[in-house]
Amino acid sequence: MISFANVAVRYHGAPTRALDGVSFAARAGEVTAVAGPNGSGKSTLVRALLRRQPMEEGAIEIEGDDITQISAQEIARRVAVVSQREDLSFPMRVGEYVALGRYPRLGLWRSASAPDHAAVRSAMDRAEVAEFGDRNTDTLSGGEWQRVRIARALAQEARALVLDEPTTFLDLAHEMALFELVHSLAQDGIAVLLVSHELNLVARFASSVVLLHRGRVAASGRPEDVMQAPLLEKVYEWPLVVSRDPAVGSPSLVPLRRRASSNFNRQQQ
Amino acid sequence: MLHKRFVALLLLAATTSCARDATQGAPEADDFGDPIIVRSAPRRIVSLNPATTDLIFALGAGDRLVGRTHWDVYPEAAKAVRDLGSGIRPNVEAVLGVRPDLVILYASKDNRAAASELRTAGVNTLSLKIDHIADFYYASRTIGRLLGDSARGAIVADSVERTLKRVRATTQSLDKPTVFWHIWDAPLITIGRGSYMNELIEIAGGRNIYGDVDQTSPAVSIEDVLKRNPRYIITGPEGSLKIMKDPRWSEAPAVRDRRILVVDTAIVGRPSVRLGEAAESIARLLHPKELN
Amino acid sequence: MHHRAWHWIAMGAVLAALAVISLGTGVIHIPAGEVVSALQGSGDAATVSIIRNLRLPRIVLAALVGAGLGMSGSALQGTLRNGLAEPYLLGVSGGAAVGAVIAFAFNATNDGIIALAAFAGAGVAVLLALLVARAAGRAGRGDPRTLLMAGVVIGAFANAVIMIALANAPPNTIRGALWWMMGSVADSSWAALPWIAGFIALGAGLLIYWAREIDLLALGDEPAAALGVNVESSARRIYLLAALLAASTVAAAGLIGFVGLIVPHIVRAAGIRNHRPLIVGAGLVGAALVISADLAARTIRPPGELPLGAVTAVLGVPFFLAQLRKSA
Repeated sequence: MISFANVAVRYHGAPTRALDGVSFAARAGEVTAVAGPNGSGKSTLVRALLRRQPMEEGAIEIEGDDITQISAQEIARRVAVVSQREDLSFPMRVGEYVALGRYPRLGLWRSASAPDHAAVRSAMDRAEVAEFGDRNTDTLSGGEWQRVRIARALAQEARALVLDEPTTFLDLAHEMALFELVHSLAQDGIAVLLVSHELNLVARFASSVVLLHRGRVAASGRPEDVMQAPLLEKVYEWPLVVSRDPAVGSPSLVPLRRRASSNFNRQQQ
Repeated sequence: MLHKRFVALLLLAATTSCARDATQGAPEADDFGDPIIVRSAPRRIVSLNPATTDLIFALGAGDRLVGRTHWDVYPEAAKAVRDLGSGIRPNVEAVLGVRPDLVILYASKDNRAAASELRTAGVNTLSLKIDHIADFYYASRTIGRLLGDSARGAIVADSVERTLKRVRATTQSLDKPTVFWHIWDAPLITIGRGSYMNELIEIAGGRNIYGDVDQTSPAVSIEDVLKRNPRYIITGPEGSLKIMKDPRWSEAPAVRDRRILVVDTAIVGRPSVRLGEAAESIARLLHPKELN
Repeated sequence: MHHRAWHWIAMGAVLAALAVISLGTGVIHIPAGEVVSALQGSGDAATVSIIRNLRLPRIVLAALVGAGLGMSGSALQGTLRNGLAEPYLLGVSGGAAVGAVIAFAFNATNDGIIALAAFAGAGVAVLLALLVARAAGRAGRGDPRTLLMAGVVIGAFANAVIMIALANAPPNTIRGALWWMMGSVADSSWAALPWIAGFIALGAGLLIYWAREIDLLALGDEPAAALGVNVESSARRIYLLAALLAASTVAAAGLIGFVGLIVPHIVRAAGIRNHRPLIVGAGLVGAALVISADLAARTIRPPGELPLGAVTAVLGVPFFLAQLRKSA
């Protein structure tokens, strides 16, 4: 659905590339996660997809079309992106805000009609924010706001959904609820691309993980294949172990306290 | 151009008028409170005021002028005198550069600093606020005294005074039509009680519709002028063209019935030696039948 | 949405009423009935002249200026995501003032020439601001805030140029230049109005056409891009349109501040968020505001008039106080 082929990005004037030779695909009906430490290039990937950062090499395709060959509006019809942060300077009603998601389909002039209203309603139902319709966006909690933003993305009726660090401001319950929503969206056939540094959650819900390290793909595949301790230690630069909790089933990494580790000699100086 | 110097002179005036005490005695301080020092007759005079430049020529001391302002171009001979720039906040260095022994300034607040700088440099200064006709008499007598020719100073003053008295007597018994003096259009500026032009109108047998306003050159609105409904509008040649082309003035009775009086700003633009002529010319315009 | 329709009708009625009141009020009071007949050309010739040649052009210009500034301000606040943005921050006002002051210093007296010089000055300022923003480096390109900062830089430079020009200008021209800068619709004439109306209509029409993009830009650069907006070119386009509107008003009536700042807030207070109705509403409210300000300017202190810019500046005080309380 969304395929990245040998994508390389260099920020203006930077000595090294922010992304180098990144290739993978996010397929319909699956949750594909992009994980990695800060600075590994995760957000750059999203920027490249939105064409806000030109690529030095490589190509990104959405449903087989190169993103440089189609219009921004067409991209928005096929992919809905929920960016990392969004602070509204001028608060508005939640219903109005979600309705903005119809823009890629309405264009500059067409007025919203029945199908558009229906799409907005169903998006709000799906994201479980239907009862917020008349509330003002500045009265929402972090978790509620996040779900409203997802509703806006769902209103685009795109077949792909990209979420950039969606759980940053969420507590445990909201975090889990969001991942479950995302998982169920994938089950509905949407290609979900999830960018997150929360490797443990990602391991539970994603069917494939792309691990980035300094702009390159360090590993990609099923969560249990990617989450190997030596590799993760190298990427996250911190001693850790990977354990498997039988109740949960998926692997989870546990970072260790430094004194307990004997493997990191250089850090003892 | 004529119009501009007209305005320049008016804009030299401060917003409040001050009545000049016309006593004949010799007051010891000028209008800045600086003492008037009568030494031997000055040989190098700088006059930073169109009225006093004109006056100095009338007093026969034009050959002793070594500096004037950019707008002092009367009489014709004044043009040969060196142009030192502005009379408000003058360039003191330029003034000192012509080595004057007397500098005559217009006594506006903006010139206080220049006056004290000149005095500190040892140059005699005379600062006069010439807004009213009586100020002119005083200037004539005082400058005459400074030039060592008090008699001439008195003669010039008296001759103007005589002409003005004569004009006033002629118009005394006539009806006094209302007058609006159009100085500038944007903003719309006219003359109030603080200006000698107001006195000229009175002497010429007219009534300034803004004679109740204290300032020298207040800004007013067209609507207010229309409300006060002057019988005549006095203005210079440029002003008259502007008024006639401007649709906002078209229904003013004075404009509609062609009662715009055009004056020669060369004559009426300064409170100086041609005041008598000025009053006379305005009187003739206001009372054509009786005086011509 | 019938409550919205009610809003518009009420606003239109208020505007019309204000216009009639304003036409009838002044140094000479004219009752409403006579105002209406004078508009049609019948009645006392002097009254007709006052209404048609004196007051009506003023009111029409005041309405156009107010509408232009209100619309420009609302477009900018949305694009810059900042409720304190105002059209004059673009460098437009500084540039226009430079053009006008230079024209005055060269003894220009024709209103048309001064307006043209002001417009040219504004154009130069906007171009300079775009160049400065471009030179700010790739990181800043397309970011509307970079354009804003560039505008501030140009504005500061323009102020310096104005001071120098005033210091060197012949004194008799200074009063005219200062009068122009303080803003006024007093010299409005029927000859100039079609031009101004044309520019304002053009700018307004295009802004309304692209209003939805402002809705999205107001969310942020990334969300806007995610919804299909070309952020860089869209922001630049709106910036230029807002500058066009502001430049037209400055060329026509001098510097009238705070209108572009306050009007969008008034319209937003009525609950309007979508920029299409927001911009239209700002046009109406702006027109009403400046007509009222002009009414105050010419009736508060007869026989003179207050500068229009001074009256609108006073409005800034309660506005900022309200903002302060809201944020505290």
